[in-house]
Amino acid sequence: MKSYQAVIIGGGPAGLGAAIALKKQGIQDILVVEREHHLGGILRQCIHDGFGLTRFGESLSGPEYAQRFIEEAQRLQIECRTDCTVLHLTEDKIVTLCSRAGLEVVAARAVVLAMGCRERTRGALAIAGTRSAGVMTAGVAQHYMNLRNIMVGREVVVLGSGDIGLIMARRMTLEGAKVKGVFEIQPYPSGLPRNIMQCLNDYDIPLYLSHTVTEIRGRERLSAVTISQVDEAMRVLPGTERELSCDTLILSVGLIPENELSLDAGVVLDYRTKGALVDEYYQTSVPGIFAAGNVLHVHDLVDFVTLEAEALANAVTEYVKRNTMPDCKLTVVPGEGIGHVVPQRCSGRDAFTLSLRVTRPRRDCIVTVHQGGREILRQTVKNALPAEMLQYSIPAERLNAEGDLEVALL
Amino acid sequence: MTRLFTCIICPNGCHITAEVLDDQIHKLEGALCLRGEDYVRQELTDPRRTIATSVLVEGGELPLASVRLTGSIPKGEIFPVMEEIKALHFSAPVATGQMAIQNVRGLGSDVIFTKDVRRRTEQPKEE
Amino acid sequence: MAVMNREFDVVVIGGGVVGCAIARELSRYRLRVAVLEKECDIGTQTSARNTGMLHAGFLYQTGSLKAQCAVEGNREFDRVAEELDVPFRRTGKLVVGFTEAHRAQLEQFMKRGESNGVPGLRLIDRAEMDRLDPTAGGNFAMYVPTSGVLNPFLYTIALAENAVHNGAELFRSCAFTGEIRLADGRHCLHTTRGDFVTRWVVNSAGLQSAMVSAWLGKPGYTIAPVKGEYFVLDKRAGAHASISVYPAPNPDNTFDTHATVTVEGNVLVGPDSQWVEELEDYATSPAGLDGLAEDGARMFAHMKREYYIRSFAGVRPKLIDPKTKKVQDFKLEAPEDIPGFINLVGIESPGLTSALPLARRVAEKIRGREELSLNETFTPYRSGPPRFSELTLERQAELIAENADYGEIICRCEQVTKAEILQAIHSPVGAATVNGVKNRTRASMGRCQGGYCQMRITQMLRQELGQSITEVSLSSRGSYLFTGAVRGGGEE
Repeated sequence: MKSYQAVIIGGGPAGLGAAIALKKQGIQDILVVEREHHLGGILRQCIHDGFGLTRFGESLSGPEYAQRFIEEAQRLQIECRTDCTVLHLTEDKIVTLCSRAGLEVVAARAVVLAMGCRERTRGALAIAGTRSAGVMTAGVAQHYMNLRNIMVGREVVVLGSGDIGLIMARRMTLEGAKVKGVFEIQPYPSGLPRNIMQCLNDYDIPLYLSHTVTEIRGRERLSAVTISQVDEAMRVLPGTERELSCDTLILSVGLIPENELSLDAGVVLDYRTKGALVDEYYQTSVPGIFAAGNVLHVHDLVDFVTLEAEALANAVTEYVKRNTMPDCKLTVVPGEGIGHVVPQRCSGRDAFTLSLRVTRPRRDCIVTVHQGGREILRQTVKNALPAEMLQYSIPAERLNAEGDLEVALL
Repeated sequence: MTRLFTCIICPNGCHITAEVLDDQIHKLEGALCLRGEDYVRQELTDPRRTIATSVLVEGGELPLASVRLTGSIPKGEIFPVMEEIKALHFSAPVATGQMAIQNVRGLGSDVIFTKDVRRRTEQPKEE
Repeated sequence: MAVMNREFDVVVIGGGVVGCAIARELSRYRLRVAVLEKECDIGTQTSARNTGMLHAGFLYQTGSLKAQCAVEGNREFDRVAEELDVPFRRTGKLVVGFTEAHRAQLEQFMKRGESNGVPGLRLIDRAEMDRLDPTAGGNFAMYVPTSGVLNPFLYTIALAENAVHNGAELFRSCAFTGEIRLADGRHCLHTTRGDFVTRWVVNSAGLQSAMVSAWLGKPGYTIAPVKGEYFVLDKRAGAHASISVYPAPNPDNTFDTHATVTVEGNVLVGPDSQWVEELEDYATSPAGLDGLAEDGARMFAHMKREYYIRSFAGVRPKLIDPKTKKVQDFKLEAPEDIPGFINLVGIESPGLTSALPLARRVAEKIRGREELSLNETFTPYRSGPPRFSELTLERQAELIAENADYGEIICRCEQVTKAEILQAIHSPVGAATVNGVKNRTRASMGRCQGGYCQMRITQMLRQELGQSITEVSLSSRGSYLFTGAVRGGGEE
């Protein structure tokens, strides 16, 4: 059985970022496994710009951002297998690979989970109605339009104001479709303000907050949706139903980290992030299995994904050399106003990067971190949005070896 | 008249109000920095945008190559620029950074390819 | 595509599980058999929209056709599943009870079941229930060892493939529109794909059976469509359950919302019962789904939003007495006054279990009027394509070595390979739509609902069948997925 020092599952920005950083730190036997024909992950279909502002100081498209890492990986001669799917992953870090060349079982000292996300579906939301053609998630529409030269509809309703839906509202408008509106069940948008401006306002596409689609109508192809208003608890307000004709319903209702392989290996997930529970070294509950990128928690800026992958690579290098990581016994929990935090465990000895999202939009608020009742971080945020991940560096000198951490919003 | 803006330059997202009379900006309030003020001024006088779209590529591994603008263009030019891009026909191979249209419509921005599309060797490669 | 005028001995109207079973049964004899299906694929209506249960037969009135066929179909299904190479598990079933009233009902079921010839029924106590399924609620239960679960779509397609292999012909997108009687007594059936001349016509049109019966000269039947909505839950929800558990019956002997583990390991919650207006009304409703979610959560621990895969609806074609609204038994008749006509009306549950028994009775009706000689080349065996996801690693490796297309995973949620999808498209009863591929291979039945594989499946349909962008369909005709190319003509 072939053996690698590190097997990285996923050749998108997280996987490539980790691979490159590992190679640069002297780890030689690296395998990146990518099930698509090309490396680059989801960036391949994100042709809009806005990527790399902090990383490269430029506003690149997704493919360009990915290309920088693909070329670097090639230059460093990192083994990357495309058209290769991981079928199984065990707790002992045995990886079963499947490709046209056959099945191969390899052993890994360390495994990096970098599988990204899947999209939440209509079925998961239990939207009633017919099973007409014309209902699809935004990412699928994006794939068809940008990679396969296929137009998916003409009169479009978008459910969910997540970034992908906003981007697709603009994309479809630029290609001649009529986007009738974006409907968001929460009382505030899910996507970045920049996208609300440049994807909706610019094209006079109305955004309806506290609204949702309650029924899908149409025989073979979608012909209309029923839109209803909801209250703050997101319950449908009876009597507010109205029908909106359309031939396409684009769903942008959330990303779910793709952790099937992680569960296979016995990795414990955090119900809040739907990603692995990790410590400050990005190690999961299974020793030697690490996670970064969207599979760990959904990111809004790929630049942060790259940073996270590089931080993970430092830890993996350590693990490959020593076969163990320092204990991280302290828990980091989200308190009042905080939706989730990563990492969920820390050592209390080293500095680490804390990532978090707030539960609802707040202005002029304060992010605090307490350890055993003692305040160790206090940061004002002028404009806190669930759509924007916040990151803070927790310095080592503020930390104690004892005491769990709580992150809260004041 | 009063116009409200949410600045998108940095995560602070300042709410900026502008008092406009006779196309002149009288007052700008709410910005924490000058970049915000510049942003609102720009939006009021000459809003500019970048766009990204695709170009048909013949004989390539993929049917489309993505393109974007290298600089911003006036908002009102978005659809005219789209028409120019839609009319393009290229043959594979094309490379990231390659020029698609130089100085499109004389607006000071190029249209460049943002993806490599290699020449198709055998049958159409699956995505 | 119009069919040249064709002549047959038997034409079956309706390509559901019963119509395909009839074709398979009749292909044992030297008869030219055709099946006409109005949809663009077989088994898309009642046959594909049900719980997939192999019923035991204790529910039905003793002596009824439902009871006879259910018991017969149940008894033989291990052999049938083996012959046709379809998934089947004889899981058994528990019908649980809490009160003395329930006990009385269960005892009644037992008596009826015994009279119907259902083997092995017995009342068990809590201790024995714990041994079978500790999570099942109830103080006691009726244990039904012969109940089972199967994949109704694969069963339908296997019957069709076997029938076709043995000489039957199948015409899809072929809707029956009326008939004229020829001078020699034969039927000339008009369809959307031309005329079919035949000595026997069998009405197996399910939801449309009353209407087809009228068009063939026997009006007066009423089909009441009764919709049932379902949730499909993640396989993780079904991981710990093996035996089906039904809640205690209602006073009228119907069952409330229950959860069934399918043969593939998903969980179906439902169906409910709604008397609707339209025959083919497959829309789920907000009220229906809310009701199922609520009831489901009460009786099934894993009815959680995170496990929702999708929901769907089926419609039961209930034959009713129009005056009393009482539901009738299966109707299977060869009316004396209409030669060459065999009529099946109102085949609802236990239609799946009863398919082959009904088919044999159709053959009997024909044998009652003419000599039937055996088809010497008939084989009851049909082999389905290997399912990569169910094989051992060794076998998977072997398959890939034989055919590299097995190494390309197209649907990652269900681990369906390119080879299987190609087989689904190119088989004698092949798929030409996304749902056709889905039903044959399970691709896009998983958590991501086609988020990864749909793009690849549509690409394969275009490549393999030469479909243009706008021809690619989800299910029925008119369910186009795309409106054109983004740039240019789009045909590369």
